[in-house]
Amino acid sequence: MAPNMLSQRQLALILIAPGLFLVAALFLYPLGFSLISAFTRPDGSLTLEWFAKAFELYSGDILFTIIIVVTSCVLTGLAAIAIAGTLTLGENRWVVGTLRALYRWPLFIPFIVAAQCMRTFLAKNGLMNNTFVSLGLMEPLSATSFLDWRGIIATFVWKQTPFVALLLAGALASIDRATLEAGRNLGASRPRVLFELALPQVMPTLLVALVLSFVTMLSVLSVPMMVAGSQPTMLTVDMAFRINAYGDYSTANALGVITYLISAGAAILYLKRGLAKEGAP
Amino acid sequence: MRTLTIACSIAALMAATPLSAQTLNVATAGDQNMVDYVKDYLGPMFEKAHPGVKVVSVGTGPGDSGSQKIYEKLDAQKASAATDFDVVVIHQKAAGTMVKEGLLAKYTGGVDTAKLVSSEAAKNALGADVSGYVLPMFQSQTALAYNADLLKTPPNSFAELKDWVSKNPKQFGYNGIKGGMSGVAFVTGWVYAFGGDADKLVKGPYDPAVKAGWDGALADLKTFNKNAVITPGNAGTLDMLNRGEIAMGPVWVDMFYSWQADGKLPPNMKLKLAAPGMPGQPMYYAVPEKTAHRKLAEAFIALATSPQVQADGIVKRFNWYPGIDAKNLEGKLDQAAWNKLFTDITPADLSSKAKPFPIAPYFNDILESYEKKVAN
Repeated sequence: MAPNMLSQRQLALILIAPGLFLVAALFLYPLGFSLISAFTRPDGSLTLEWFAKAFELYSGDILFTIIIVVTSCVLTGLAAIAIAGTLTLGENRWVVGTLRALYRWPLFIPFIVAAQCMRTFLAKNGLMNNTFVSLGLMEPLSATSFLDWRGIIATFVWKQTPFVALLLAGALASIDRATLEAGRNLGASRPRVLFELALPQVMPTLLVALVLSFVTMLSVLSVPMMVAGSQPTMLTVDMAFRINAYGDYSTANALGVITYLISAGAAILYLKRGLAKEGAP
Repeated sequence: MRTLTIACSIAALMAATPLSAQTLNVATAGDQNMVDYVKDYLGPMFEKAHPGVKVVSVGTGPGDSGSQKIYEKLDAQKASAATDFDVVVIHQKAAGTMVKEGLLAKYTGGVDTAKLVSSEAAKNALGADVSGYVLPMFQSQTALAYNADLLKTPPNSFAELKDWVSKNPKQFGYNGIKGGMSGVAFVTGWVYAFGGDADKLVKGPYDPAVKAGWDGALADLKTFNKNAVITPGNAGTLDMLNRGEIAMGPVWVDMFYSWQADGKLPPNMKLKLAAPGMPGQPMYYAVPEKTAHRKLAEAFIALATSPQVQADGIVKRFNWYPGIDAKNLEGKLDQAAWNKLFTDITPADLSSKAKPFPIAPYFNDILESYEKKVAN
């Protein structure tokens, strides 16, 4: 039996080898490489000067990036809860049907296309403001451009909401409906059922979806580049600029490490919650 | 691409040799329109004037990387008796490197039209001395585009622009330095105007202490930015001009004209080159040191830089500024084409206010000082 076991173990190793190789070659190697480049001078000695430079030039952009991504996550979460809640608890079949048919669409639109659409939609004399003006809802003079931080947040929320809503609606559909119906029978309103009975049961799913969205938004280059001007801007644009304008990979990598740390912050929050839950009786 | 380039060159050589006719190989870095310019326009014209000569046009791709491919090819053929390319069309950065490494011939003495060239860029390519080695094919230039309906008298200088913007907040837009070269050109123009000795930035030598003298100018630019709109990119500035959201902004002149020709900009838009000027970039005609057809290559470039060809081909057909001094084109162009390119920015403006970009180390200093003092 033993040789057979061994070969099964070998087989398992062989099976995971391609995946392991891909992770090592396409993720671990570049990661290690960028870490080394962020912490060393060209002559190989250790230094923090690239980080000093990154903070000197881009401290405002680091803060800007965190604010944009956190705000987008909060708004995405709220919008996704509203959509998933309506899909699960909605009683008007027409509303639920229409919403179900429509809400996934942005999932299939790449960030760069979404950004290009927003560029003409959110501009001062763009589609949105022109529509309001022609409907008589707004004076042409009071039109303002949303092509700044608000534009970035709007694009992110529009693009990520369906993803979070999709996961959340799936989770909500799989919880025991008896508890929700019991709540309704005892006279609880639908929002109350959603927030006090349904959501607590799917919190881990919501959190996973938001952490994934957080990391995705942190890594998008096209949206801040196309939608908003460059002052302030997000770290991805700064990294691209460091490389394209100066060929300066060290500071770009230092910015990359800062981005890792920001996304690690989100991951730690998530893990802590998961561990606390597992530890509980 | 490279294989294709080599294959084309070999095919051309094979096709040409048995006829004992001469083949002139022209390698062009740049977009397809530049390759087509040689293939469909210049080549046939030259063949007509020189019976028995065949012009083969090869493109190596847009941007500095296109010039890099030409450089690599010439570098690789350094040891051989003759290079495959007889005429090359290259960017400024690569021209400096090629001259330094002795890959280009000092040919302009043999070309009469060299006397018609007035631009500084024919002597100095981002700090490298290239005089004698290159002639500009065309000049692309940045300028301020403005809405003539909203603004009857555009500012004549950067100082007037500063005043105008403080009186008309949020009517001027540019794309910072991370969204494309028109914004970079504007910031460079600002430093030329307010940062002290502009000539030194263009000609060198490099002195790392110079950037400390820009502090005042950059602090002013930060104040200026409060009343300006930061647009998303070169196209972003043109978009906002088109929608009437801003009244003025820096643009690439050739981009401006092609957008206007496509109906993407209203006809009431005009251009202004404010003093002391804004930077632009040329493309160069050069001859490899080891070409087998030096005389023919010189004749080809003489034709390409002759006033008539510069007028008909460069200006009229492709909306570029001429590589030779624009005053030589007077009378060669019909009035409509002349009006289009030179009404807003006169030949005199071009010759006095079309500046080169600074030498590379100052260029990087300007960008980084901007990031440090203005953007963050």
